[in-house]
Amino acid sequence: MNAWEMVSMALISLRTNKLRSFLTMLGILIGVASIIAIVAIGNGGKAAVLGAIASGSAENTIQIVPRELVAPGLPQPGQVLAIDESDLAIAASFSGVQQVNYTLYGTAVVGSSNRSDNASIEAGPANLNELTRLRITRGHMFNQADVIGHRDVAVLSQSLANKLFGSGNPIGGLVTVSGVPLQVIGVAVSQEASLFSLFMGSDALYMPATTCQDLFPNWSISEMDVQAAPGTNVQNLAQRIVTALNIHAGDATAFADSSGLASSVGALLSKVTTILTLVIGAIAGIALLVGGVGVMNIMLVSVTERTQEIGIRISLGATRTAILFQFLVESATITAIGGLAGVVIGSLIGLGIRMATGIPASVPWPVAVLSFLFSAVIGVVCGLYPANKAARLNPIEALRYE
Amino acid sequence: MIELSGVCKAYKVGDEPLTVLHGIDLRIEEGEFVSIMGPSGSGKSTLMHIIGCLDTPSAGEYRLCGTSVGGLSARDLAVLRNRTIGFVFQNFHLLPRITAVRNVELPLLYAGVSRAQRRSRALELLARVGMEDRAQHLPTALSGGQKQRVAIARALANDPALILADEPTGALDQRTGLEIIELLRELHSAGRTIVVITHDPTVAAAADRTIYIVDGHIQREEVRRG
Repeated sequence: MNAWEMVSMALISLRTNKLRSFLTMLGILIGVASIIAIVAIGNGGKAAVLGAIASGSAENTIQIVPRELVAPGLPQPGQVLAIDESDLAIAASFSGVQQVNYTLYGTAVVGSSNRSDNASIEAGPANLNELTRLRITRGHMFNQADVIGHRDVAVLSQSLANKLFGSGNPIGGLVTVSGVPLQVIGVAVSQEASLFSLFMGSDALYMPATTCQDLFPNWSISEMDVQAAPGTNVQNLAQRIVTALNIHAGDATAFADSSGLASSVGALLSKVTTILTLVIGAIAGIALLVGGVGVMNIMLVSVTERTQEIGIRISLGATRTAILFQFLVESATITAIGGLAGVVIGSLIGLGIRMATGIPASVPWPVAVLSFLFSAVIGVVCGLYPANKAARLNPIEALRYE
Repeated sequence: MIELSGVCKAYKVGDEPLTVLHGIDLRIEEGEFVSIMGPSGSGKSTLMHIIGCLDTPSAGEYRLCGTSVGGLSARDLAVLRNRTIGFVFQNFHLLPRITAVRNVELPLLYAGVSRAQRRSRALELLARVGMEDRAQHLPTALSGGQKQRVAIARALANDPALILADEPTGALDQRTGLEIIELLRELHSAGRTIVVITHDPTVAAAADRTIYIVDGHIQREEVRRG
C-alpha cells in the first residue's frame, strides 16, 4: 500500500464524516490563518515604518537639526533653537562638503481664486524633492536659479492642487501665500509610505528657501542639508560637523544628525515591530495548539467509534503498523488540509489589509511553507496517541464491540 | 492442515481464572468440510479464534499448514490471517461506509496487490457469489443474504486454504441460510477446506464431519461422508 493510497483511504474516511472533519480542520485553519495574517501585517507594518523613516534622507546628504527639533519639549534656557548663518558657514568650511543648503518648515494659509486652505510649507534647496522624496507628476521642480533669484514659484502637493484648482490645470496658476502671489510650476506626490501620510495629512506647498525667508522673515532655519561630495565617508563627516557646531554653540548637545537619528529610530522601530509580531504570533500559536488538541480529541473519538472496523481490518490481515498508519495519515491529512486552507485564508487577509490600508502586508513564502509543514506535523504528533491506541486493540474484543 | 494438540485456553475474569478450553486435540485435513457444534458458552468461539489466529492458546500446540502458530510474531500472524484464512462472520462485518467491491478489495489491499488488479479480482469474486450487479452498493443497501455473499467473496480474496465461518447463517432467515450453506458446499466441492462454527443442527449437518464441544471438551464426533 503506497502513500497515495493511504491518503486516498484517509480522504474517503474523512468524507464520510464531513461536518466533523470540517470542524476539526477549522481549529487548525484558524490557528494557521491568524499566524499568517499576523506575520503579513507585521512585515507590512515594518516595511511601512522603515519606508517612512528612510524617506527623509537623500543619498550623500547630512541633515542637521537643532536638538529641540529632534525631541520636542520645553527648551532649556540658552538652548539653540534655530540654525543661523554662522552655523552654515562652519559646515561649508569642511572639506568634502559640496554645498550647504537649509530647509524651513511652517504652516500658512494658501489661497487661490477659488478658495483658501491651511497647508504645511516646506521651503528648501532645489533638491528638496530628493530630500523629502517627492515625485513630480506635472510641471517641474524649482531649480537653482529660482532659489538664487528668490523667485516667487511654488510646487503643490497633489491634494492641495486638487483643493485649490479642482479638476483644472494648476500649472501656471497663481496661489497667494501671506498675500504674495506665487506661480505654480509643478505638482508633486509624496512617496513617503502611506502609513505616514495617513496620519499627517498631505496638503503641502514647496518653495525655494530664499523666497520663504522673504515671505516669513521671522521663520527660523530648522534644518541644515549638507551635500557631501561623492565618495565621502558621510557618517564620519556628519559627526565632525555636528561636533564643530556644538563647540560653536557652546553646548555639547545643541545639534544632532537627524539622518543618523532616523536610522537608529528605524532600527528601534523595526525591533519593536518584530517583537510585537512574535508576541501576537505566539498567541496565534496557542490557537494552533488548541486546534491540535481538538484533532487529538476527535481522533480518540474516531478510534473508539471505529473499534469494530479496526477488529475487522485486523481479521482481514491488517498489521498493527497498517492500522497505526491509517489513523496517523487520517489525522495528518486533516491538519495538512486545514493548514493549507489557513495559509490561503491568512494570505487573503493580508491582501485585504494591503488593499484597504495600503500597508504593504506580505507573507514571505518560507513562512507559508513552514506553517503548512508544521500543521502536518501537528497532525502526526496529535494522531500518534490515538493511532497507537487503535493499533493495540485486541482483535477479538474489537470485533465484538458494538 | 489444522492440528491442535492439548490446546488449553484460560482467561482471568477478575481474580478468578476461567478455563474455557481443556486440552483440545483436533485434526482437520485439507479439503474437509467440518462443523463445530456446541451450546453457547461451550468454548467453540474461543476455539474458532485460536484456529483463526486471532488468539493464541495458553497451553498446547496449534499447527496450521505445518507451522506452529505459537512461535509466530504479530506480523507473521497478520500475514497468516491475510493469506491462509478467510473469515465469514455471523454479523457479516462488512465496513459500512465503503462499497461492496471495496470491502472485497480489503484483504487484497493488505496483501499489497495493485489497485487495478484488486478491482478486477474483487469483481471476479463478486461474480463468483452472484453479486456482480451489487458491486457499487453500500452494505446498508444490501439484504442479509447479499451481505453474507459479499463477505464470502471477501473471505475468498487472497485464495485462502481455509474458510472459517462463525455462525454464518445466524443472522439470516432459513431460506437465505440454506443458500449460504449451499454456497459453502460449492466452495468445498471446489477443493477448499471449510470449518463452520454453529449451534444450528441443520447447518452442522451440511458438513462431512461434526465435532461436538461441551464445556471446553470435545464430547464426540460424527462423520457423515468422506
